[in-house]
Amino acid sequence: MKQIALYGKGGIGKSTTSANLSAALSLAGHDILQIGCDPKRDSTRMLMQGKLIPTVMDQVRERGAAAVGPADVVYTGFNGVRCVEAGGPEPGVGCAGRGIIATFQILEKFGTLTGDVIVYDVLGDVVCGGFAMPMREGYAQEVYLVTSGELMSLYAANNICKAIERLSARPKSRCRLAGVICNAKNQPKEEELVDEFARRVNSHLVQFIPRDRVVQLAELNRKTVIEYDPASKQAQKYRDLATHIMENTRFTIPTPLGIDDLEALAIEFM
Amino acid sequence: MTLRPLPSNSCRSAGCTLTGALSVTTHVRDAITVVHGPQGCTHHNFSLLHATSLDNDQIALPPLVSTGLSETDVIFGGEGALDRTLDTVIARNPGAVFVLSTCIVDTIGDDVGMVCGSKTGVPVIVVPTAGFLGGSFQTGVNNALIALAGMAGPAKGNGRVNLIGEKNLEYEVEENFAEVSRLLALLGLSVNIRFVHDLATDSIASLGAARLNVLRDPSLIPVGESLKERFGTPYIPAYPVGISGTVAFLESVASACGADCRHAVEEERMLRQETIDDFADLAGAGVSFTPPPPDPEGHRAAQDIAHALRLDITSSGCPVPVPVTPPIGITGVRRLLHRWRRALHA
Repeated sequence: MKQIALYGKGGIGKSTTSANLSAALSLAGHDILQIGCDPKRDSTRMLMQGKLIPTVMDQVRERGAAAVGPADVVYTGFNGVRCVEAGGPEPGVGCAGRGIIATFQILEKFGTLTGDVIVYDVLGDVVCGGFAMPMREGYAQEVYLVTSGELMSLYAANNICKAIERLSARPKSRCRLAGVICNAKNQPKEEELVDEFARRVNSHLVQFIPRDRVVQLAELNRKTVIEYDPASKQAQKYRDLATHIMENTRFTIPTPLGIDDLEALAIEFM
Repeated sequence: MTLRPLPSNSCRSAGCTLTGALSVTTHVRDAITVVHGPQGCTHHNFSLLHATSLDNDQIALPPLVSTGLSETDVIFGGEGALDRTLDTVIARNPGAVFVLSTCIVDTIGDDVGMVCGSKTGVPVIVVPTAGFLGGSFQTGVNNALIALAGMAGPAKGNGRVNLIGEKNLEYEVEENFAEVSRLLALLGLSVNIRFVHDLATDSIASLGAARLNVLRDPSLIPVGESLKERFGTPYIPAYPVGISGTVAFLESVASACGADCRHAVEEERMLRQETIDDFADLAGAGVSFTPPPPDPEGHRAAQDIAHALRLDITSSGCPVPVPVTPPIGITGVRRLLHRWRRALHA
């Protein structure tokens, strides 16, 4: 079983990328589980025909942990992809990080964490120990950074490198940086910039995904690009991503950059 | 971020903020204290308070209620649990409700003040007590006293004296109270309220009526200052310690109250001499303080007593006990000397 996690700045396209990746992997014949680890709970929406599925934390809140069963939290979407949303507290109260930890414990108890590939789609920033959960305890062994060529997006990706570096130093830790996915904003020299960034943090660019209107069209039709327009160039990019991830063997301990180096890098490709 | 090794002799320099505050709020007789946190925080303190009150011959159970936070409350926020608990507690019509926070509640950022502020009918007072923020047991005591003082308004002076911050968990709390009352009586003064020891909520209103506040020890100076600012009441920073403390205490109380203390001081000197005479049989004996007294003040008090009694302090001397908190007044010294005599005659 392969377990991968996608991290990156909020709004950068992690959920879109995750959903299309899961769809592409399932069409390639793999048994896929996608887990949205963000209280926003919209990771799996495009796999579920636009439906926001009940989250693990919703169920716990409404019915108590003891009354919740596997069928209440796992929903089958496009081409048999199993979908889970961790969910969390209302914005502004409680502890969302603890919610992620509790979700993992519940999924462990249910024996849900099975399949050929598990895709964890995680909150933008690793703000606390709870959101590092997918990188810990041997869950996701391969972390992919999703970033554009914008400085703030690279900054967030670099921060996540720090978390991976820290966690990978722990004894028995199997968490590694598996690569960088460039979800482009169509800036000039963006691919070169992200490629160079990946190299400098001791990793590599696994896939360049250009900006394409079909993503928005698919979304408005409540579908992944893979489902909405399988013949499009963009769908091919996601299939390529799926292939590269399945073939990838380059897992590294990242070397995060200082803010000055990061800025200098961005200026180089202006 | 702090990195502090736990001292082998932590006394009051450490401990939990919550426990300190509870040692105060549970002594408001008709009030209920709500501990907003997991039930263990309450249970642990309940046991400690119960055990220490038994030591002081109090059999009443501390009036404590836990909001019993679970993991689910931590994830979704504990404000609902606090709200429900407060409704249940207020329905029992207590004189006041004190709400104490815990580490987890301040970690997840529950708005305790907002929930408490929405309640009516009974005063609901918040005391911030998350221990991980670096406060000690004493911080909890001080926070609780200052929060409770907020319940008192301006009051007409009654010429009496408040005792502030009695150590409710110490073994000799009543004996120390009696000794300070005796000394005040020598000056014609009486105790207004014991803030806070076995106190009714209504009595807190007269806090500002006193002419003087006597603090249990100097760690309460922030409380003394706060009361001085609010009510204009001057304070004496500590109970009289050791064999020479009482005369100095009488002098400073008299000076703060503009009273004449000559007669009282003369009587006190006689009592001091009487005490030395009563224990004259110990003169010349060798004593040692093992283990060494935990705080310098206690050590100094023990040395003063030994010198006054003409005892020899030598490492080969008979080990005699030195209490964690130094003896208060002449009666405290007499109780200690009885213990030394037993040790020397053993």
